[in-house]
Amino acid sequence: MSKNELTASLKKAFEALGFQPGDYYDAADMVVWLETHGFYGFDRLLAVLAYLNTTAPVHAELVQEDVHNFVLDGKGTSVLLCGSEAVDLIRAQVMKGACAGLELTNCYNRTFIIQRLIKAAQRNLAFVAYWRQLDCCVKVSVKPGAVLPEYQTFTMLDVIDPQSLIIFCGKSIEAIEEQYAAELEFGTLVDTFSTQEMTDSYRNSVEEGIEIDESLWETLDKLVARVLVESTDSSRAGAGE
Amino acid sequence: MHIPSSLDQADSGVNRLPMRPAGQVMQLERLGSFHQSRLSFMRTLVRRMVVENWQINSPVFDLDEHGYGTVVYQIEAKYGTFSYVVFSHYLDPERRNDRVIADQWDLTMALCEGTVDTKQLEFLRNNVPKQEAGRVDSRVLVLSRANRSARLFDYVVNELADGCQPDVDAIADVGYLYRTTAAYGSGKLGMADWEKVWTKHRDFARPFAAEMFTCFMLRHFSMQQADYLASQRSPTKAVALHEDIKRYIGIGNSTGLGMAPFLINHPLLINQWIEMRETALATAVATSEIGVDLETLLRLDTSVERVIQHLNEIVTADERQSKANIQVAKELQLLHVWLQEESTALAISHYVWASLTQYAEQHWLIETQEVINTLLIELYPELVDGLEDHMWVEESYQITPEMSVAELLEVVEEKYDWALAIDFTQYESMGAFWYRSDEKMEPRLGQTNIDMGMEKEMPLGIGRRVRECYDLIYSYNQSYPDQDVAHFVVRNPTYSGIVARIQTMAESHYGDIRENLVHSDVLPIHLLRCKLSFFGVSKFDPRSRLWVRNTMFQGAPLISDFGKLFFDDWQFPIKPTLTSG
Repeated sequence: MSKNELTASLKKAFEALGFQPGDYYDAADMVVWLETHGFYGFDRLLAVLAYLNTTAPVHAELVQEDVHNFVLDGKGTSVLLCGSEAVDLIRAQVMKGACAGLELTNCYNRTFIIQRLIKAAQRNLAFVAYWRQLDCCVKVSVKPGAVLPEYQTFTMLDVIDPQSLIIFCGKSIEAIEEQYAAELEFGTLVDTFSTQEMTDSYRNSVEEGIEIDESLWETLDKLVARVLVESTDSSRAGAGE
Repeated sequence: MHIPSSLDQADSGVNRLPMRPAGQVMQLERLGSFHQSRLSFMRTLVRRMVVENWQINSPVFDLDEHGYGTVVYQIEAKYGTFSYVVFSHYLDPERRNDRVIADQWDLTMALCEGTVDTKQLEFLRNNVPKQEAGRVDSRVLVLSRANRSARLFDYVVNELADGCQPDVDAIADVGYLYRTTAAYGSGKLGMADWEKVWTKHRDFARPFAAEMFTCFMLRHFSMQQADYLASQRSPTKAVALHEDIKRYIGIGNSTGLGMAPFLINHPLLINQWIEMRETALATAVATSEIGVDLETLLRLDTSVERVIQHLNEIVTADERQSKANIQVAKELQLLHVWLQEESTALAISHYVWASLTQYAEQHWLIETQEVINTLLIELYPELVDGLEDHMWVEESYQITPEMSVAELLEVVEEKYDWALAIDFTQYESMGAFWYRSDEKMEPRLGQTNIDMGMEKEMPLGIGRRVRECYDLIYSYNQSYPDQDVAHFVVRNPTYSGIVARIQTMAESHYGDIRENLVHSDVLPIHLLRCKLSFFGVSKFDPRSRLWVRNTMFQGAPLISDFGKLFFDDWQFPIKPTLTSG
């Protein structure tokens, strides 16, 4: 299937799950970006659908802030629902001054944040984000205007909260790393996901289309069916018949 | 592309074009009065095909004596090779239905990249006739289907088989041999993504170019099939359809509500289309600042006469459209007389077109005004045709989080004054709602509190959503006057979508369509006609307020005209006077 078709289907599926316009646009974009760039977006989607199907949409709550730092309580929700607000909050602060940091606690599916960082970076902002993944720490850096991130996995020096996402934003990667040097110390580099791999994956998605597992397609179809209204003779009149 | 215009606040030193304001242009009734222009997608496609002399042949032409079978056309365009595959089927007349919910058609077609081998042809044969119920792959750019105009098709074949040309008046009554009921592209049903089309296939790297080409090829097939059937039926007596009649035959089209949500869900793209068209108009009007030569005045006069004839030849049962056509023809007749009587004086006047458009706005129907605007654009191909390369824009809607809520309030008050002027406490203001039916997800319009499905309403009521958002921002600003939009959205996350739309569209020239689309009396047909005008169709024939019939490519050159001397003046088609040949 194509990106367009997948995006359209995801939007309706998220709408069926109670997402509002804006939220479902962003969530669809996040899933499509991960899948087309080789980050197994569909596997992550399957995991999150199981959660979203059992609860009404929950958004994060701002619980603490000062001039340069924010703490958002994710209340156990997915980054698909609170990632955009977190990124908007921190970039608003940077647009007014220097670097800023944000911790989104108690949230899930954090890899999805990459697409939001890439999109926000197009406004000449840099981002560094990290989160714990099993016994390691994933670090994502996005330069101003970059369309691909630097994605690395490190061993942890300090124990990081297992469900937190930390985001720093500034006018450049160097400015962020200088201001938050202490917070950005990691152990040994374990793995990287090269930008070439991301590019190859994306190009293949555009050229050949995106392979989707039949069971996921059926799951999405069932969700999409929830936003459809049963056709009747009366409703056909509303289509001009 | 950014063209300095009177809408720009900055760059005061730049010589600006006198663009019409959004408050005038983005009214639904005006958008619903648009006609095709030089920038319409059919026009630009035809220019490209003729000038670049695309080579089209049919390596597979496998039809039986009834015209059923398979045809594959191979297209050598300027930058690539494509295949257009047609499957012609028997269709029980009882099952012939132009609605999107139909599941069988006379013809089904696919436009593919490259050449098509036997294996792919078999794959297409198993899927293309199923349309939405089938799946294709990323080698396919467009999927389409068509139904025969049984009345006209049979008549034309019978005449040709008898050795006669069909009566032009009979052709004029219908205008086409086949009606297309859908042309899917942009990655639907497994097809190539739009990104693939515009990055890899330069020949179709413009909005809807591949879809329009599919309809153009349908027109070609329809006439080739008619010729073929006549020759099969009477090999010694049959004649081929006269080329002048062929040019006058188009493709029918039925467009319903399925097209309407597109205009609301792609406001940046629509803004771009409108802005380019308005830029073309402003360019034409500004040109008359230094006067208009007699030859240009004569060309306009000739066009006016042609439009009058075109309008008089339109057959429509719709009373409103019929009355409008008559009135527009009358008003154009006044313009014709004015041009005849005043041309010498006009030739030494300044700002002739500005005076004309101003007069039209004060005295004539909106439909007449928009005909005139289209004709003015036609006069200056060398100045406006370059705009055709700027009809696409990458759409991205994003919040400007650092904006203060006080500033956001001002933005809404300035850019969405039309939405704030609507009284949503009136029942009629929310008397309709849009939803998707479970029949092929067809968009439909329901009546509030009467029809089922309100809880699944599509978010097309932008004006209402803006109003709700404004009220909330207003209260928020009272409590937190120093806060920014990011904080507002964190505390009101369900409004992130409309805030992103407001802030994004506020930076565009024309912005959103200024109409309450959930009003009881909303006329979706204006939305359809607006989009169809950018496609380049003609002869609008409304069948209700919810769907419209029209004609595509009527008057356009034929494939046999490619590479020849070309006058790009096939808009507003009129009955041909047959020449020999």
